[in-house]
Amino acid sequence: MDVEIVLQAIVNGLMMGGVYALIAVGLTLIFGVMNVVNFAHGEFVMLGMVMTYLLHLFLGMDPGVSILLVIPVMLGVGALIQKGLISRVIGQPDEAQILLTLGLSVLLINIALLFLGPDYRSVKTSYKLSVWAVGPVLFSVPRLLAFIVAMAFSGILWLFLTRTDLGKGLRAVAEKPEVATLMGINPKKMHALAFGIGIALAAGAGSILTPFFYTFPSVGGMFVLIAFVVVVLGGMGNIPGAILGALAIGVTESLTSQFVALDLAMLGVFIIFVLVLVFKPSGILGKGKVY
Amino acid sequence: MSTSPQEHTRWTRYAPWILLALILIFPFIFPSRYLLRTMVNIFFFAALGCAWNIIGGYAGQLSLGHAAFMAMGAYPTALLLLGLNVPPWLGFIPGVFAAVIIAFLLGHMVFGLRGPYLALSTLAFGEIVRILLLHFRDQTGGSLGLTIPFKGTDAWKLQFASEQPYYFICLALLGLCLYVTYKVHGSRMGYYLQAIKENQDAAENLGIDLANNKVRALMISAALTAVLGGFYVAYFYYIDPDSVCGTDLSIKILLVAIIGGVGTVWGPIIGACILIPLTEISNYLFGSGRAGASLIIYAIILMIVVLFSPRGLIALLPGGERSYRHE
Repeated sequence: MDVEIVLQAIVNGLMMGGVYALIAVGLTLIFGVMNVVNFAHGEFVMLGMVMTYLLHLFLGMDPGVSILLVIPVMLGVGALIQKGLISRVIGQPDEAQILLTLGLSVLLINIALLFLGPDYRSVKTSYKLSVWAVGPVLFSVPRLLAFIVAMAFSGILWLFLTRTDLGKGLRAVAEKPEVATLMGINPKKMHALAFGIGIALAAGAGSILTPFFYTFPSVGGMFVLIAFVVVVLGGMGNIPGAILGALAIGVTESLTSQFVALDLAMLGVFIIFVLVLVFKPSGILGKGKVY
Repeated sequence: MSTSPQEHTRWTRYAPWILLALILIFPFIFPSRYLLRTMVNIFFFAALGCAWNIIGGYAGQLSLGHAAFMAMGAYPTALLLLGLNVPPWLGFIPGVFAAVIIAFLLGHMVFGLRGPYLALSTLAFGEIVRILLLHFRDQTGGSLGLTIPFKGTDAWKLQFASEQPYYFICLALLGLCLYVTYKVHGSRMGYYLQAIKENQDAAENLGIDLANNKVRALMISAALTAVLGGFYVAYFYYIDPDSVCGTDLSIKILLVAIIGGVGTVWGPIIGACILIPLTEISNYLFGSGRAGASLIIYAIILMIVVLFSPRGLIALLPGGERSYRHE
């Protein structure tokens, strides 16, 4: 096999992996802080895509600009969803939160279907088809931009969690909720913040996906599965683990579709997933929450 | 509850027989094709919900990939019918064996996992089967699916122009699922599953073999689901990976059981009696092209049940409490 083709597949995989990372850090943050597995996470990616699509359609806004609108809006929406719905199942059996977020997922997909119909829609930017060549390897400009923005936001999240008081409060609630409460941190507020940040990042990932990925109501399904794989691979609640896991999954997917079969790309991902779950459910980076 | 215990006994003693008699004469009183199709759908989803309930309800092991077992029943049935002219009532058998063997292997792999990890791995299992069905298109027809040609009424091949025979076949299958559930409900295994559901660690300390009981429950559940997959082929004449192996179907199966009442014999029937007519009403109001409308209603009902009546709607019925095992 050609070295150049392998290299190209790895580059493509890494760029997609960056977007997966942004989706997965949100999921793993929600799990780490609240112990909730958000089955509706992919639908927030979809909502981000739909918002970006509509902003582009009606105002001609570039996805790079709309992400700055999408993230704060979804931060608020997330806090509301946490207060109105998710907070009611915290501390209840796992089934309750799985079924509640599953219900939310079905609800959001079908509301989108009702209003937008099942069509595949695309956002046409001037750089949609631009390519940047470095030696034999080609970088698609929208994918490269998505990768850079995704990594930037993941980095901002990391700085927020490690350098600010609010971020430290989140980590305290993740680590020891009772002790955090004694220290004067309100866990309910932190839960709302974690859920808000988590889904805002997912929606932000949706924004930067639109220049090279079709927008349709059930698009979230594939992203949520990949995000689950990534989060389990990196260790649930582990943010650096999620970023590494996402890049690894992006490359696995890209290599499988290049060298095995295009339509089996996800199969390689799922097989890794089941193997990790069965043999090392604490994730490849070891166990526990790491920030 | 204001009614006395004696009244409960009388109600529960006669009501099922009266209901059964009504169901048996129903196709002769209302020969409307549309009504009968709706009834077959109710029986079918109630049966799927019952099958799911054995592992998802009684044992409390949430499976989000149950549609894969249906596909394992459906695909061999369809391929044997198309390729070798084997009638569905024989052709479903290899698929059932396949489902039981896969359930055995899957169970041993994933039942060490709990809560969300288990749910995720079963979701991935369903997706793996669906991707494989799409990939091997030379055998399975890929996304185009397999179509069974209808060549006039032929009882041997279970092809009927009228709706009545399917009505009774599906009713019999529902009866089978209910019978198996009833047997599990009252058996030693049923108690073990209940204990596992309540607290796995405590159950293990009491000497219950967790893996063995969970795997057996999954195998029973998978076998019944595969049988229903065979019926799906005979009744709908068309299968494709999304219709018999999609995550949507897996979710619909568990909705029937959860909305009705998990871990009860009759819960899935109540669930199906609510969900299927709701689909029909919403298709009538919004047009079946807007399939989204009925799922919006499902999702809202599911969320309401989870938040306000987590044991399902059967708990709200008079005497419903007694449908559960001891608690």
